[in-house]
Amino acid sequence: MTHRILTTLALAAGLTAGIQPAVAQFEGETLYLFNWSQYMDPAIIENFEQEYGVEVVENYFNSNGEMFAKLQAGGVSQYDVIVPSNYYIPRLIESGLVQPLDHDRLTNLDNLMDTFQDPSFDPGNAYSVAYQWGTTGLVYDRGALGEMPASWSVLFDPQMNPDAPFAVPEDSQVSLGSACAYLGHGYDCQSREALQEAARLMLETKQRDNFVGFIQGTPVLQQLVRGSVSAGITFNGDYLFFKSEDPEGFADIEFVIPQEGAEVWVDNMMIPARAPNPELAHAFIDYILRAEVGAALSNWNYYSSPNAAAIPLLEDILQEPPITPTDEELAVLAFTPSLEGEDLQFLQQLWREVESR
Amino acid sequence: MPKLARDTQHLLLTVTPGVLCILVFLVLPSLYLMGMAFLTNGPYGLPTLPLSLQAFRELAGFGFLGWSPGNLYTLLRSVWQTLLATLIVTLIAYPAAYYISTRPARWRALMLLAVVVPSWTNQVIRSVGWMNILAPGTPLADFAARLGFIEPQMGLFPSQFAVIIGLVYNFLPFMVLPLYAAFEKLDMAQVEAARDLFASPLSAFRHAVFPQTLPGLMAGVVLVAIPAFGMYVVTELLGGGRSMMIGNLVARQFAQASNWPLGAAGALIMIAVTLIGLKVLRNLGRRLGGDREVVL
Amino acid sequence: MSRGRLTAFLRGFWYALMLFLYAPLLVVVVFSFNSINSSARFAGFSLDWYKRLFANDVIMQALWNTAVLATVSTLIAVVIGGMLGYGFYRYRLGRLSWLVWLIYLPVIMPDIVFGIAEMTFFVLINQWLGILAPGLGTMIIAHVTFQVPFVALLVNARLLALDPSLFEAAQDLYASPWQRLSAFLLPTLRPAIAASFLLALTLSIDDFVISFFTAGPESTTLPIYIWSAIRKGVTPEINAIATLMIATVFLIAMLSMLGGRRRRTSDT
Repeated sequence: MTHRILTTLALAAGLTAGIQPAVAQFEGETLYLFNWSQYMDPAIIENFEQEYGVEVVENYFNSNGEMFAKLQAGGVSQYDVIVPSNYYIPRLIESGLVQPLDHDRLTNLDNLMDTFQDPSFDPGNAYSVAYQWGTTGLVYDRGALGEMPASWSVLFDPQMNPDAPFAVPEDSQVSLGSACAYLGHGYDCQSREALQEAARLMLETKQRDNFVGFIQGTPVLQQLVRGSVSAGITFNGDYLFFKSEDPEGFADIEFVIPQEGAEVWVDNMMIPARAPNPELAHAFIDYILRAEVGAALSNWNYYSSPNAAAIPLLEDILQEPPITPTDEELAVLAFTPSLEGEDLQFLQQLWREVESR
Repeated sequence: MPKLARDTQHLLLTVTPGVLCILVFLVLPSLYLMGMAFLTNGPYGLPTLPLSLQAFRELAGFGFLGWSPGNLYTLLRSVWQTLLATLIVTLIAYPAAYYISTRPARWRALMLLAVVVPSWTNQVIRSVGWMNILAPGTPLADFAARLGFIEPQMGLFPSQFAVIIGLVYNFLPFMVLPLYAAFEKLDMAQVEAARDLFASPLSAFRHAVFPQTLPGLMAGVVLVAIPAFGMYVVTELLGGGRSMMIGNLVARQFAQASNWPLGAAGALIMIAVTLIGLKVLRNLGRRLGGDREVVL
Repeated sequence: MSRGRLTAFLRGFWYALMLFLYAPLLVVVVFSFNSINSSARFAGFSLDWYKRLFANDVIMQALWNTAVLATVSTLIAVVIGGMLGYGFYRYRLGRLSWLVWLIYLPVIMPDIVFGIAEMTFFVLINQWLGILAPGLGTMIIAHVTFQVPFVALLVNARLLALDPSLFEAAQDLYASPWQRLSAFLLPTLRPAIAASFLLALTLSIDDFVISFFTAGPESTTLPIYIWSAIRKGVTPEINAIATLMIATVFLIAMLSMLGGRRRRTSDT
């Protein structure tokens, strides 16, 4: 925990040193942030509030689907900044739920690494700016299961885990992608045959007595430490975050990138189409893009920073696995495919079938 | 002012706000939702023209995979879980309501209150209570594991068992109250006569008690089965991956998966099944009650 | 089975039922004082969760929202629903008699359908007119809408139990409608109004689904907070929050008991 206090202090010191009076234009306004849970350093929010004289209202979601549905259910005019993952960005843009960014207001945009400057899912950063990136892998309790290989078989092979409780996420693409990888079609499988095979495996898996339900990456960690789940799918940064909070409880809990393939993702800041305060939203995005803020963010939530200027300020622990993947791991990591049209509906139907049987 | 005109004026004055409220905020939204079921699912889950029966086809299980039974399973599971919960509720509520009606009058109100009060707390909180009791490692879960019902590492929740408990717990008072009202009006002379007439208490119950409490039972079944069939919270919190009900299927189309027309079609089916259920109960009540109206 | 054994069996059954009904609430209350975050083991008495709860702005805001939603919607519903119940009783509706069926609509409509219908409707109105954005306002509207029919039914039932000649007597006794209202109608209906107030209040407190689907970014209520905390897997203060709500419900229960007792003594 000490490192966090230190970085927070450093952050605060850095800010007071360079206090800018120019931001009075937002005095008294409110920013509505819709973010993943356990993903934002409270100190960053406090500093932003102080520097800009504004209030930040935070709301949380647990899956991209939940975020997308909430936007459609009126959220499109109620949130200023949202943080979706790469594969949801094309569908957010095409469904008209987000607005283009005004690059003139994003003075720190050049701080982004080259890889994130012109991503395939949003050429030219027209709508999105990278927030953090990380991986999604297998997490299990060594105490309950013993030493396990870095393989999805821990979840999908009943012989590997005949009786300990396990879960998979409700995010259809992540769950089916992992099943696809286990079947040898790669994490980013897209052919309908492969997906159908993965769904069949998922159905069989779901019928096993020790399957406890669909639990997302962040809550599954809480259940692992409580012992009500022994294996699941989670994110590298959340794993390290909770482990650092409770080293004892997590002593036997392992996070691995399965060798059959797994997800690498980028979460991005976007502005909903009818956001109440797009100017303040731009100011917030630009604030997060500052080198010292970006570093503080990564040092707090343990995810990799897409911010090149922030890299020198990052802690050592972020420069090694599981946060910085090894070369072997990088070789098997893939983006979740961004689906649209019939492919998306096909996948949703498959998943509905998995959930409802 | 003539009386008739004044009456009309008063009628409008007293009734208009309530009727408007229900028309604008209940009838209109419901009609909109029903209409939505006949629209086409747009590329990202919002309803678009043209009018079509696509949502119903999808709900029936027709899609890219040909026909698949998932949604049908969910519907059948909803009916099954509702019936099971209603049956258990009835078995608990009968003796409870009878016992209350035999207590001295000054105790009865308090006892009824004791039955009802837990249902005044929020649904989510009641489920949290059961999560506390049924989670892995609790005495009850350990006991069940020792008896061999579950693996030692598992809890009693999440499970279908927990869902049934949650349903019973949520709706028990709705059965006790009408049954109590029926027992309170019970004609004891008839019961005594039946006790003399029939040897076994069971047949005395069947011929004297049951017919008299039938209206209460039917009212209770309506009050329990309808909300149980539409349950959302208990299945989400206490159920694992295998106890989903139609309410969850519908909610998911608006809260996670984004397919509004499909969700609307599901909502329509929920209302239809509810109405069919009411009709069946009505007929059943009439048959059992010798052509007396016993439901609604 | 002899009568004595039946009674003994029923008494035992009753105690078991009380255990079944109160164990989940009791467990929540007891573990809200647990010094560790566990529902499997009680490690010692502590008020830590309550301290954390009262120091948490988000929870305090949710507490406030819950209170505002319950009281405001109940007050509105009692006025509107009371008038509706009276109107349906007092004035022959003639061709409008089908309106009475409106009252039964919420009974056959599952919560989830109602919540979704409200949500999609509010989204539509918001797109067209820019009003009714999800928030405390839309939640209050939704709550009032499902409370009104229950209040109307209760008031109506009470009126039906009265002797109709009372109304004629009141008509002769008091000249103006307002006098009739304040000197006759309100006092006569006071028990029904009090009962419908409590009923509407408990309906609002009990609801989660409808609130959940009509809520906005700043209108989180305690049940919604608990729900998302469970989904997030972060559950430390949940038992303490739930205990607060359980205590509120028991307060209402005591009020209604006192009310019932007073009514009975005044009847005799």
